[in-house]
Amino acid sequence: MMLEARQIGVIRGGKVLLDNVSLTLLPGHVTALLGPNGAGKSTLLKVLTGDVTPTYGAVYLDGRPLEGWSLVDRARRRAVVPQESSLAFPFTAFEVVLLGRAPHVALRETPRDVAIAQQAMARTRVDHLAARAYPSLSGGERQRVQFSRALAQIWEALPDGSARWLLLDEPTASLDLAHQYKAMAVVRQLAKEGVGVVVVVHDLNLAAYVADEIVLLDRGRITAEGRPEDVLTAERIRAVFGLDVIVTPHPHHGRPCVVPLYANGE
Amino acid sequence: MMTLRRWCAVVGLVSLGLGILGAGSGCRRDVTTQAAVRTVTDAAGQPVAIRDVSRVVAAGGSVTEIVYALGAESLLVGCDASSLYPEAATKLPQVGYVRALSAEGVLSLRPTLVLTVPEAGPPEALAQLRASGVPVLVVPAEPSLEGVKKKIRAVAQALDRAAEGEALIRQLESDMAQVQSYLAGRPARPKVMFIYARGQGAANVAGRDTAAAEMIRLAGGVNAFDFEGYKPLTAEAAVAAAPEVILLPARGLESSGGIAGVLSMPGVNQTPAGRNRRIVAVDDLLLLGFGPRTGQGVMELARLLHPENTSEK
Amino acid sequence: MAAVNILATRPQVLRLPGHWLIGGLAGALCGIVLLAVGIGAVAITPAQSLSILAELIGLDVGVPFTEQQQAVLLTIRLPRVLFGALVGAGLAMAGAAMQGVFRNPLADPGIIGVSSGAALAAVLCIRTNGWLFGKAGGTLAVYQLPIAAFLGGSLAAFIVYRLARREGTLSVGLLLLAGIALAMLAEALRGALIFAATDDQLRSVTFWSLGSLGAASWVNLSMVAALVLPAMMWLGRLARPLDALLLGEAEARHLGFDVTTVTRLAMLAATLIVGATVAFAGIIGFIGLVAPHLIRLAAGPSHRTLLPGAALLGACLVVLADLLARTVVSPAEMPLGVVTASLGAPCFLWLLLQERGFRS
Repeated sequence: MMLEARQIGVIRGGKVLLDNVSLTLLPGHVTALLGPNGAGKSTLLKVLTGDVTPTYGAVYLDGRPLEGWSLVDRARRRAVVPQESSLAFPFTAFEVVLLGRAPHVALRETPRDVAIAQQAMARTRVDHLAARAYPSLSGGERQRVQFSRALAQIWEALPDGSARWLLLDEPTASLDLAHQYKAMAVVRQLAKEGVGVVVVVHDLNLAAYVADEIVLLDRGRITAEGRPEDVLTAERIRAVFGLDVIVTPHPHHGRPCVVPLYANGE
Repeated sequence: MMTLRRWCAVVGLVSLGLGILGAGSGCRRDVTTQAAVRTVTDAAGQPVAIRDVSRVVAAGGSVTEIVYALGAESLLVGCDASSLYPEAATKLPQVGYVRALSAEGVLSLRPTLVLTVPEAGPPEALAQLRASGVPVLVVPAEPSLEGVKKKIRAVAQALDRAAEGEALIRQLESDMAQVQSYLAGRPARPKVMFIYARGQGAANVAGRDTAAAEMIRLAGGVNAFDFEGYKPLTAEAAVAAAPEVILLPARGLESSGGIAGVLSMPGVNQTPAGRNRRIVAVDDLLLLGFGPRTGQGVMELARLLHPENTSEK
Repeated sequence: MAAVNILATRPQVLRLPGHWLIGGLAGALCGIVLLAVGIGAVAITPAQSLSILAELIGLDVGVPFTEQQQAVLLTIRLPRVLFGALVGAGLAMAGAAMQGVFRNPLADPGIIGVSSGAALAAVLCIRTNGWLFGKAGGTLAVYQLPIAAFLGGSLAAFIVYRLARREGTLSVGLLLLAGIALAMLAEALRGALIFAATDDQLRSVTFWSLGSLGAASWVNLSMVAALVLPAMMWLGRLARPLDALLLGEAEARHLGFDVTTVTRLAMLAATLIVGATVAFAGIIGFIGLVAPHLIRLAAGPSHRTLLPGAALLGACLVVLADLLARTVVSPAEMPLGVVTASLGAPCFLWLLLQERGFRS
């Protein structure tokens, strides 16, 4: 049961966005995609979700090509939290979360679906926003509501026992500091429950905190892959990000902590 | 999807059923005893049976004019928005524009006969009137002298005023004879450009097979353009055609800003008509209605095209 | 594509329960239909109306009526009122669906080019005095204009659809642009045709564009119903996909909905509805815009309530508007489009003032 990208290449308009990228993702693990702007992180995520068709190579879910899965089957086991979403119509936040149950709803939402939506909102601490109009929420509140929606989508374990997947594209972009880490805590909990998570983040320390495995991308290629402490070294960060840093183990949980070095007077 | 298809079939059948039911319910006819029935042939060649002419609705300016000219205006209970002559007609209840009649509106006047022209519409309204037992006579309306005679005869027959109808036709013929004698000593046939102006600079000119072309011909003129129907006025075309007279319907002249306005239209200034300021107008209905006053219209136009004081002998 | 946040600033939302609203509107529609059937240029008392209707199902209520009153009620008024309800319901639903597909509350049902194409075809038919569609005389000749309008509208929508297709997917952004481009082209051609038209033809074109239910007969009603009712049912089944589509195309796909199919189906349904109604009733504006808007204000944007609600409200509005059109200048009639515009414009103004008042 795994999500694989096999030799993915994406070329758009003559530009190489991804070059021969192969990746194996396992349920119960959190994989963070890291890299500077333009490295191809979002493109890779979009290939994994099926939004972008690779120029060559393919994605395999549980051994079968992704195209072979119907949209509904995909939606039942895989949820996506987008980077940004605009909504021009005044749905309430609750209604948006309830839409996450759509792949599991036959004709009409059941009380169970309603209960799941409520629980999902409680889990991300947005239940107090349930009756508010979604377009009137702040960027951060909206992102958390989208997160709830994705949770509601894959809330229940599948009857055939196949893995559930959660893919997040920069989910913390609009969140303030506390909410960023709270959200990542939920992500870690989900992984413990067996969900396979792929998350695109910018913040190296956040990645170090949340990920079991980090995939470092640079100019469309995988530069490094492995545990946070193995991938996040000062030399590599300097090479890929162009920044001088010190990497030191976190005083409490021992994961790598990236501290930038500021040059004097610059 | 199966259920959907079944639903569609059900809905389609129900609609069809409604249609049949409705069509059936509309076909009841009055089966009272037939009084003296006249049969008149309409514009499509179909016979129309007319019994009662006590309440007549006329739709179409020329038809209304004929009814008045036959002396039968007491029979009129309503007319349409284009019936502007004589003035008394504008005081009658109005049932809309001849192309957009209101079936129920007409019926509210309890008519026993509807007289109208081929461009009357919508067709459903006419069908509904017929289905309600009101005979609808569409009189022939070709834009020619023969056409006028046929129109007058049809209306006269319908209203049982055949004698008055023939009198109108004789009047028309005598009017035309006057025109002939007026034109007899005036062999010149000036080139005439007919402008259909609609204000704001939108102007069309008439080619052949138009009502205007026919009137020009009858009045001893020659149409400056030979294409069919109407086309927009362009400076080049106007100059190339070199008309000696420019003709407009009276309201068109007014809406173009009078003679000055016409002179400012594309190319007009460079035509002989423009240079000599020979811009003339005739009342709209008189000029283009092809009603009982057609002869007078032609005479008026002939006088304008061949002014009395110019001796062309 | 930038979304238009009309009501975005309100934190609390009004939500009338869906069943309430639908039930209330259905009741209102019944009442309005009865009212409209009972009022008109020909004098028929309410008691006579009921008597005529009762006789249809075999009941003798004992109130006498004339043959002509019966003909007026059953062959003129009843089909016309039902036709009006059908037109209103169809246009409102198509408008709601298009607003969902384009994620824009200002989209009207003709946004994919149907109205422009139909109008162009109608002008062409009028200008050529129908010869374009053959002088196949008799009954077919009467349907030249509606057939032309329907074909023109369908062709326009098809062109827009093909222009917006890209590698097998349908791009909503391209749909919008193609629709606008086609509308502009159709307007230009229409202008050119009108420019060289005779006064009479111009009058015909104007009357046609202003819209009227005068062409309503049982036969025409069945033809339009055969096209519009199935299309409305298709749209009804698209309620949840349209809700998901509001989140965004990618999000809707992530939720398991085939966005391309949904968009295609919605477009097809809208084309059928608008094509059929424009063919027989001309251009009737504002209903497809105002009815969904009002329902959204009252009960929220969920299509499960919006689609049927807008349909019922649209039906009520058109029947009422036509009632006004038939009675205000009796025995003549006002064009329906003029009445709907007169009602629709103040409605939008009111919405604007409400929004302005809220923001200050």
